[in-house]
Amino acid sequence: MGGYSFQAENVQICVIMVGLPARGKSLIAQKIVRYLTWLSIRAKCFNVGNYRRLETAHPTAEFFDVNNSEGERLRKMAAESAIRDMFRWLDHEQGVVGILDATNTTKSRRNWILELCRKRNVEPMFIESWCDDEDLIMQNIMDVKTTSPDYIGQDPERAALDFRNRIRNYEKVYETISERDLTYVKLINVGSQVIINRIQSYLESRIVYYLMNLHIKPRCIWLSRHGESAFNLTGKIGGDSDLSARGREYARQLPQLVKMSVGDRPLTVWTSTLKRTQQTAKYLPYRQLTWKALDELDAGQCDGLTYEEIESRYPDDFAARDENKYEYRYPGGESYRDVVVRLEPIIMELERQENIMIVTHQAVLRCIYAYFMNVSQDQSPWMEVPLHTLIKLEPKAYGTEVIRIKADIPAVSTYREKGQSAKIKK
Amino acid sequence: MISLSLDSSPSPSPSPTVSISSEDHDRPPSPMANAPSSFASSLSPPGLSTFHADLATSPITGGFASQMHLSPPSFTSPMRTQSVGSKYLRRQSSSVDEDAVHDALSPTHVSPAQLYSTESGRLFHAGKICIVLVGLPARGKTHLAVSLTRYLRWLGVKTHAFHLGDYRRVHIAPGTDVPDDYFLVNASPSTVILRQRVMAACKADVYRFFEEDRGQVAIYDAVNPTSAGRRVLVKEFSQRGIQTLFIESICDKPEIIEANVRSVKISSPDYIGWDEKEAIKHYLRRISDKIPHYETLDEPEFSYIKLYNAGERILLNNSRMGYLPNRIVFYLMNLHIKAGCVYFARAGKSTEQMPRYKSDPRLSDEGRTYARILTDTLLEHRRSEHTARVTHGDNSPERELIVWTSTRRRTIETSTEFEKRGFSCRQRPQLSQMHPGSCDGLSGKELEKQFPEEVELHKKDPYRHRFPRAESYHDLAVRLEPVILEMERIPNDILIIAHVSVLRVLYGYLMACSPFDIPALDFERNEIVEIIPSAYNNKVKRIKIYGVEESQTL
Repeated sequence: MGGYSFQAENVQICVIMVGLPARGKSLIAQKIVRYLTWLSIRAKCFNVGNYRRLETAHPTAEFFDVNNSEGERLRKMAAESAIRDMFRWLDHEQGVVGILDATNTTKSRRNWILELCRKRNVEPMFIESWCDDEDLIMQNIMDVKTTSPDYIGQDPERAALDFRNRIRNYEKVYETISERDLTYVKLINVGSQVIINRIQSYLESRIVYYLMNLHIKPRCIWLSRHGESAFNLTGKIGGDSDLSARGREYARQLPQLVKMSVGDRPLTVWTSTLKRTQQTAKYLPYRQLTWKALDELDAGQCDGLTYEEIESRYPDDFAARDENKYEYRYPGGESYRDVVVRLEPIIMELERQENIMIVTHQAVLRCIYAYFMNVSQDQSPWMEVPLHTLIKLEPKAYGTEVIRIKADIPAVSTYREKGQSAKIKK
Repeated sequence: MISLSLDSSPSPSPSPTVSISSEDHDRPPSPMANAPSSFASSLSPPGLSTFHADLATSPITGGFASQMHLSPPSFTSPMRTQSVGSKYLRRQSSSVDEDAVHDALSPTHVSPAQLYSTESGRLFHAGKICIVLVGLPARGKTHLAVSLTRYLRWLGVKTHAFHLGDYRRVHIAPGTDVPDDYFLVNASPSTVILRQRVMAACKADVYRFFEEDRGQVAIYDAVNPTSAGRRVLVKEFSQRGIQTLFIESICDKPEIIEANVRSVKISSPDYIGWDEKEAIKHYLRRISDKIPHYETLDEPEFSYIKLYNAGERILLNNSRMGYLPNRIVFYLMNLHIKAGCVYFARAGKSTEQMPRYKSDPRLSDEGRTYARILTDTLLEHRRSEHTARVTHGDNSPERELIVWTSTRRRTIETSTEFEKRGFSCRQRPQLSQMHPGSCDGLSGKELEKQFPEEVELHKKDPYRHRFPRAESYHDLAVRLEPVILEMERIPNDILIIAHVSVLRVLYGYLMACSPFDIPALDFERNEIVEIIPSAYNNKVKRIKIYGVEESQTL
């Protein structure tokens, strides 16, 4: 329990995506799911295209012509299946926010969904992504044609052409949302203008707030821990120690490592206020910002102790932590959940920015990684994030790509398995 | 012509039930703190001046204050003002029973829900921002400024609202109206000079706020009717490294405008005896005479928010300023102009003398009796208030009451009487009390014995300090933000039955208390604390519950 359960009575929301193809709808839908899940709210996306693919795996643009009655019928069936599954999930699996990911570009289609929601007492909320920026659309098309299951194995040029024709068919019948009594958010040209209409609840406002911070420009996020520190060498946790000799070596090699990965793209580096991250980043030739929110999880009374010392001095605590590492709070310190709460502004700001590199600490990195990679709460505190490794995250339309770049500098492992107190020296 | 009284009477604050700790670093040193009657020599009280925001000292707005349920009138003549713009024309509130939202913040102020601060004292690397309000009179701008200030300060953003009307009044002789051409583009030279002087005084304070007080967000509350004027502002601010965010309040529903006019503008002696509808029409006509040309926000290169009909619809344009504008929009989505009042009550006594967190005890017999008396008292109070309103000619319908409790048993059981009588009761896990951690069930003496150093640390910083494995008030504040925002958005009257630690934090938000005051706030079982929101000041009323003796806190 805990987290963001808003009301004891079940308010359920159906988010209905609206927009032409290649407007970033699926990306937005999946991000909402990821964000809400990170906050402990049950959310799930129901992509109508996936249901349609079960019947028609590789459609051509003509399939989407509104005058193609067979195509219409199959597409309507797919929508019905998706909606049915969504209501089933809301009813039987304690779902809170269901997202219907489809174009939903006509008033009649939207009204149909509205009726279904009202009958079931589910609050409907529309999110329309409207874009006329040709560059952005092109980028999306490139992304889609290389990664969409509809176009697997096809010649990319033909795929792009076909996709453009598909979009044209949709454009013929597109009706933007204009009904003033609906609850909706309209994102115009990826947030350069946002229209928010009749928000009904706190949860909806939370979702809208998150959306306003998103953009779909391609970018990457690099994550790294600080270089090996003096405390790392002696197995102590917390503190504000300097880098060890090997840590300093990592700091010296980092610019080259980063340059190879980033290339000529602009980059901003974020560090925590603790010395070891700032020392790690000091040779990087980019703009730097420090954030207190990126400081390591506060170990309270256990700050400066080794795991063996913690186990001998506070054996109950040590065991309690293993049992539920996400919720366990150090006496006088923090839990992973607390870190997630204080990281929320960072995540929001990260969403707004483009290329960012974050130099931070083990627990904080785990939380940030968990957000991007949708790692569950019982797994994230146990993830292995070794020192001297640069992690590159590249969010894409259909998932996030991860690349780990190891610097060739040995370091101790600060990884501790459940039940163990001794660290494994590398 | 109504002459403005130069005396002030101290505001009717009940005797403070809290002792402000002597280590009150946060409260700006105010020689007025212990001498309310000397406020006359300080400056105009917050609530009033904002009424005049647009039409200055017209006879219409001159004397109505005595009829409003706000702090009593305390007008300042220009001669008596010590220095125009000293600490932004506000007095400092002296007790926690007064809304501190209009007080100036000290440079070292730390806020109740502040997650952290950066070196510059400015959060989130967002830099300096001036929020410029745009909108005709009676569009709720001042309410917006006050509410935003309350919320942003709560978050730890150093914010202050600057109401141009205050500065105007100081420059115009009392009892006289603003010149007829004051809002016209081609005004007479003397009017132009007057205008410039007023603006300069206000801007001087704004810059002082940014430069001397490490302020982060200034809210500039004025009509700002022309595009040209707005462009000048943006340019001037940008030359000083200040970004500008416009917020325009637009009403296209006559009912909302009329309601605003009715509650805020026409209850002055000038309209006594008038038919209400005629009075409203008259007022609105005066506005359109005074401000014939109003240009709505339309400049695509500006960052702006358009608020329609008090939040029904929001349009956000070109926001490239980071965390803050989006956070503001987030708050605006949850803000409504007419909020219901909030009642705070404690849960009844439980079966345990020192109720432990882990055991979650139920109500004792005494507790159950208390629950019944509480219900009767509150409902009777609401009935008599309603009757009083009707007698005074206010036929507005009674707002529905809803009850919120935590998920702890004794709070739920305290609400069963309400539920039996048909009121909607909702349980919210966030309203559970502060987690006591290792101090669960310990008495004060036992606490001192087991955790002597912790107790010492706690005395030094009662707001932020956490006992082992426990939560702090700060954690509570962050945890309660969803509740706070929901409170803002619900139009009903709300009764919150919760534990003392939670009531303290919620009260602290509504009354803009400092972190030093919040842990010491008193909530006795023989009282229901009522907070009445109004556009400019939240007010506190304590309703005595007879038949219940005072209990010990916990």
